[in-house]
Amino acid sequence: MATPTDTQEQPSDGPLQRWTQSAIQDPEKVYRALFYAAMVFFLVTTLFPFYWLVVLAVTPEGRLLSGSFLPTVDLFGVSGTFPLPVPKGFNPGAFVTVFEQVPFHLYMLNSFALAVTTTVIVLFVASLAGYVFGRLRFPGRALLMLGILAISYFPPAAFVIPLFQAFAGNAPITVPFTSIPLFTPPRLLNTPGSMVLPFSALFMPLSIFILTTFYGQIPDGLEDAARVEGTTRLGALFRVIMPLSAPGVATAAVLTFIAVYNEYFFSSIMATSPEAAKWSPIVGGILSYQTQYTTQFNLMAAASIVGVLPVVILVIVAQERIVSGLTSGALKE
Amino acid sequence: MARVQLEHVTKRYDDQGDVVTAVDDMNLDIAHGEFICFVGPSGCGKSTTMETIAGLTIPTEGEIYIGDREVTNLPPKDRGIAMVFQNIALFPHMDVYDNISFGLRLRDYPQDEIDRRVERAADIVQLEGMLNRMPEEMSGGQRQRVAIARAIVREPDVFLMDEPLANLDAKLKVHMRTELQRLHKELDTTIIYVTHDQEEAMTLSDRIAVLDSGQLQQIDPPLTCYNEPDNLFVAGFIGSPSMNFVEGQVTENALETPNFDLEFNPSSIEGVGVGDSVTLGIRPEDIYPGELKSEVPDPSGMITAKADILEPMGDEIFAYLLLGEGETSMSQELATNDQLLMSIDPDSDLEEDDEIGVVIDRRNVHLFDSASGEAIVHDLIPYEAGSTAAGSEVETDD
Repeated sequence: MATPTDTQEQPSDGPLQRWTQSAIQDPEKVYRALFYAAMVFFLVTTLFPFYWLVVLAVTPEGRLLSGSFLPTVDLFGVSGTFPLPVPKGFNPGAFVTVFEQVPFHLYMLNSFALAVTTTVIVLFVASLAGYVFGRLRFPGRALLMLGILAISYFPPAAFVIPLFQAFAGNAPITVPFTSIPLFTPPRLLNTPGSMVLPFSALFMPLSIFILTTFYGQIPDGLEDAARVEGTTRLGALFRVIMPLSAPGVATAAVLTFIAVYNEYFFSSIMATSPEAAKWSPIVGGILSYQTQYTTQFNLMAAASIVGVLPVVILVIVAQERIVSGLTSGALKE
Repeated sequence: MARVQLEHVTKRYDDQGDVVTAVDDMNLDIAHGEFICFVGPSGCGKSTTMETIAGLTIPTEGEIYIGDREVTNLPPKDRGIAMVFQNIALFPHMDVYDNISFGLRLRDYPQDEIDRRVERAADIVQLEGMLNRMPEEMSGGQRQRVAIARAIVREPDVFLMDEPLANLDAKLKVHMRTELQRLHKELDTTIIYVTHDQEEAMTLSDRIAVLDSGQLQQIDPPLTCYNEPDNLFVAGFIGSPSMNFVEGQVTENALETPNFDLEFNPSSIEGVGVGDSVTLGIRPEDIYPGELKSEVPDPSGMITAKADILEPMGDEIFAYLLLGEGETSMSQELATNDQLLMSIDPDSDLEEDDEIGVVIDRRNVHLFDSASGEAIVHDLIPYEAGSTAAGSEVETDD
């Protein structure tokens, strides 16, 4: 596209001029050029961090902090700096060391278990709510929906302290603004419960919103047909409405799963120390390569790559559903 | 035995403060094996009535019985009914076999029983060899047959059909109509059928229930509804094109309307008094050209009119006649005093704007009370008063 400007002095034949002329004839060309420019931009900004992680991971630990990642190249007498970082050495063993130094697989298992449990709970409850909001008419529906969405407007940090106190199980829950005790919750810190419960609550509104849109679009006749054929309303929801809303359900599921899988803030507090036995998730595991005196950047990078793989696989498998789910919300039939 | 009874069924909706009565004190008694059609214009409550029978809507008041059981508050699945929907409502994510067997699988029938019943149902609606198709791969008529198969496979006590043919093209509609009649004969179950198409109702049903604004207007065999409508609404709704209505006044020896007089003896007819305002109803096929006067048993006097618009239908021509100084009326008023619609022979050489003399067959004149709309009489010449046609059969079917 960008061509040397010196050709512009020739009024008729410069390549830029010719390109401009043909682009005027065929505007599609411009759109295509813009499309490729945008694509390259997004690809670089999303893929470069991964490339950087790979570079860090395979660079031997000793060479991490000395010298530059941008090598000087000498090409036919012209010397310059290579514009892309390159590993300083090759040490694929880091991907093994990751599991030797810390039980990283256990952290991954923790994250996976938390994410799956949360997703199942969220899908189940949000399906019930989505059915009610999407398919039934009752006074106050809009207000109630707004209330649910309002939860997602709060920064999650706002809930951390009261939840920590509650899950610590030391003192009874009291009626707000009084000291009347209601009940003493069990101690949930360092258990999945202390994470799954807040995650479910926090990610519920988005899923309810998505599922409401989808469930609302299933024609009434199909639900009526299912009920006449012998299901209850709930049966119709799970046997007919939910399968027909598969793109929406997949979208809600994947968004919830990824959010919980990557979650750190709540879990770093609810698991009182970053130990796998205390249900610390992946990010906790990655941070444990950092000690008081050393930070093993190569291992952290390797662990990050390993940790991301399951999500990458999930997205590749589900991407068709997700894309159609995100875009087909408003217009269907 | 699946007799269906509705007793004082009423359904009211609260539409943002306004109470809308969709069904108003409906009483019906449908015998086992009967084919009943609910007809009426949009919004007359026919679908809501059916939904209360199906259990998809719970009535505000009243009771519903299917067989010997009261089912008013039972969920649809426990009522022993099957339903065919206007929008067909096949489950798009299941193939034909799964669609048809859905209800059986929910009820945990043994697999061989399911297979046997699905095969038989597919056989009845002629769907053999299509059990593995998905609904989206089928034509409208095939889908409709799957929907019917899904209903018959459960061997229900009562079939409910909510405008099942509404979305089909004209040719397919006629074909499916015949299939439904055959089906009714084969299955011997009660069928309740909702339609806004009076022609469909006439051809299919044992009895027609005509509904308007949530109220039952008349429930009778098709020909009774046609020949002896209970009121102005039924008279106008049943029959296509619709009956002519002319407003008039009863005098000593005639019915006076703005443009013509119809001689009759008011004292011979119960419920008619001199000075009463009545509405005369006459079907297009009961108006004859003047030259056929001798063939009509009890003709009226000659009425002169001008042919305004002719609509050739092939086997007959519908002629819109203007009476007196009338203009073509575009109003939707029930009574068009200056206009008559008649059916004439296709070979007629009548042309638009021609003057024509017509006579009315007084044996087929209906009189309605103008105020209440209730029918008074369906024949202006009662037996005993008839001088020329004494003892002749009155043309009514029961």
